[in-house]
Amino acid sequence: MSIKSIVGCIGCGECVQSCPTDVIRLSTVNKKAYIAYPADCQMCHLCRMSCPVDAITIDSEKSIPVMVSWG
Amino acid sequence: MSEKSGISRRQFLGLSGGVVAAATLASMGIKYHGTKNERELDLNDIKYKESETDVLVIGGGMAGLFAAVKAHDAGAKVLLVSKGRVGSSGATPFAKGIFVYDSNTATISIDEFVEQVSKSAIDTNRKEYTKQMAMYSKERVEELKQWGFFDSPLYHKSFSTPIKKRNIPVKERIMITHLIKENGRIAGAAGFSFDEPIVHIFKAKSVILCTGAGGFKPNGFPICDLTHDGTIMAYNIGAKITGKEFNDGHSGSQTNPADCYTGWHGMFDRTPSTNGVEVHHDLGVDLNYKAYVLGNPISMMPGADNTSVEGGPYIPEGFNRQNQNDENRPSGPPSGENGDGPSGTPPMNGKNEKVTSGGGPGGGPSGGAPAGVSQASSGGASAGMSIHKSEGIAPINLQGESTIPGLYAAGDALGSYMAGAIYTQVGSSLAGSAVQGAIVAQAAAKYCESVTLQNIPSSKLKTIKAEILAPLKRDSGYGAAWVTQILQGIMIPNFVLYIKKENLLNAALAYVKELRDHHSPMLKAANLHELRLAHETKNMIITAEMKLKASLMRTESRCSHYRLDYPDVDYKNWQAWINIYKDSEGNMKFEKVPFGEWTKA
Repeated sequence: MSIKSIVGCIGCGECVQSCPTDVIRLSTVNKKAYIAYPADCQMCHLCRMSCPVDAITIDSEKSIPVMVSWG
Repeated sequence: MSEKSGISRRQFLGLSGGVVAAATLASMGIKYHGTKNERELDLNDIKYKESETDVLVIGGGMAGLFAAVKAHDAGAKVLLVSKGRVGSSGATPFAKGIFVYDSNTATISIDEFVEQVSKSAIDTNRKEYTKQMAMYSKERVEELKQWGFFDSPLYHKSFSTPIKKRNIPVKERIMITHLIKENGRIAGAAGFSFDEPIVHIFKAKSVILCTGAGGFKPNGFPICDLTHDGTIMAYNIGAKITGKEFNDGHSGSQTNPADCYTGWHGMFDRTPSTNGVEVHHDLGVDLNYKAYVLGNPISMMPGADNTSVEGGPYIPEGFNRQNQNDENRPSGPPSGENGDGPSGTPPMNGKNEKVTSGGGPGGGPSGGAPAGVSQASSGGASAGMSIHKSEGIAPINLQGESTIPGLYAAGDALGSYMAGAIYTQVGSSLAGSAVQGAIVAQAAAKYCESVTLQNIPSSKLKTIKAEILAPLKRDSGYGAAWVTQILQGIMIPNFVLYIKKENLLNAALAYVKELRDHHSPMLKAANLHELRLAHETKNMIITAEMKLKASLMRTESRCSHYRLDYPDVDYKNWQAWINIYKDSEGNMKFEKVPFGEWTKA
């Protein structure tokens, strides 16, 4: 399902800032990053690359049906 | 939005798409009533903020970086606002190659280079912009080196260096939805934040759109945040738009087609690099044509079937079709080492090509899949995007000025036709954005010296605020994610956007008009993320209408525009670009501009 998990988050917010499609948010409760809108993940990995503690895991499969030009 | 790990019913609807979700939920015994807007914020909490500046730069990619820095250096008060983080949104973060014309090492002159591009582009390039890019590319690359651009695969830090040094204010994660025009000239812009319920009004003497281009949130190409926002808001206040009939031809992998990172074979991990003259005729509709004629599987990797097909797009003499052997390519080595990714490296090519790291998905000279591993490609990876810099705001001069005084554009938001309607010079997209950003900034700063900040009537601001917030206020309507999926289903199939013919363009147009007239005014949003999706979807629908109508109007085939019913280049009637504009009654109008002539206001 695109971005799959965030484990060991330190709450720095780098992933939130680096995501072009606003998939990740910081929780107002525990101040840690959580996957808010996985359907909009474009699997570009900028969040994973920006994370200072390698907390983010990303899958290859899109969480919604994918339209391609020909199939 | 729930912050628990569990998935809400509404979120599930967003994930699954309307019809599929309805069927699935029905099978789970859950009643489907997905049209009710389950609002997550109190409309009474929404606040309004006003800011003032001389030059408002919208967009934080390569063009926006240079626009902000150079407008500041020219003496203007600058404010940069971006939908994402500076250096981490739009196409820029994924472009890894930047072209440099270095007179010390180049084997051809700049004029010869321009002629080579024009030959490949079948005259569709605006030669002045091609030349401008080459002339100033080295200066911009030298500055990027000083800022540390070439030292990291992530660009935020290097982009921030010159901005912080100059104390240029930056506002991130704000989507601009409206440009504001008063007394026939630009007066500012408006939009909203993703993080707080705030509508922002920016009063400005001049606005530079560095908003990139866009697509239909296609899978396998990292442009899902690019939805032609700048183009559509400029169109809405009367600016002329160009280049909508042309198509970027990037392909993706048929395995996990939405996985951009894996599809690009680790290219996003690389630090950027420079490359010299290397003019191609790539990324048109060649592969789409072959797939249309032969069907799947289509693979461009070593060992793949290299069956040639009859007909198809015209390739200028000296340039080879992508799906043919490439021994006679006219210039330069394979582009692999310096492939610039979404900004123009061909992802696939003939089987004799050297395979190196970098470039696009689907394999090829710069595709970088392991040698000998055949990988089936799929088209439509960048559906909705034209060739870089061949769509967007039609300039009236070499300074990126639009038909509206005070409104400028640079980079992919500017329809400069710098490269023409086909991929020509590898790496020129990033170089062109840097060069144009700097030049346009100086023109905008100079413009500001002769004008004053305008008052915007409160009635106009009230209307704009209402339009921005309308999807949040609707109690029922259509979800943007669903409408976007419907739009993708209409526009992405290869027999609509790539292998064009009149009856299917008209059929698609009928659907798009339905979305424009019925669904667009009923888009709903439960939160600020969905509010963004609603405005993006509206912009994509207008873009689709532009692309279909311009494609119908261009009754010939040339570069990345291919009509099955008009397969030849028409040198008699179509040595011209197409401009699109809104007339005083709100109708979408079209005009021809002969190659070489400037757009008139």
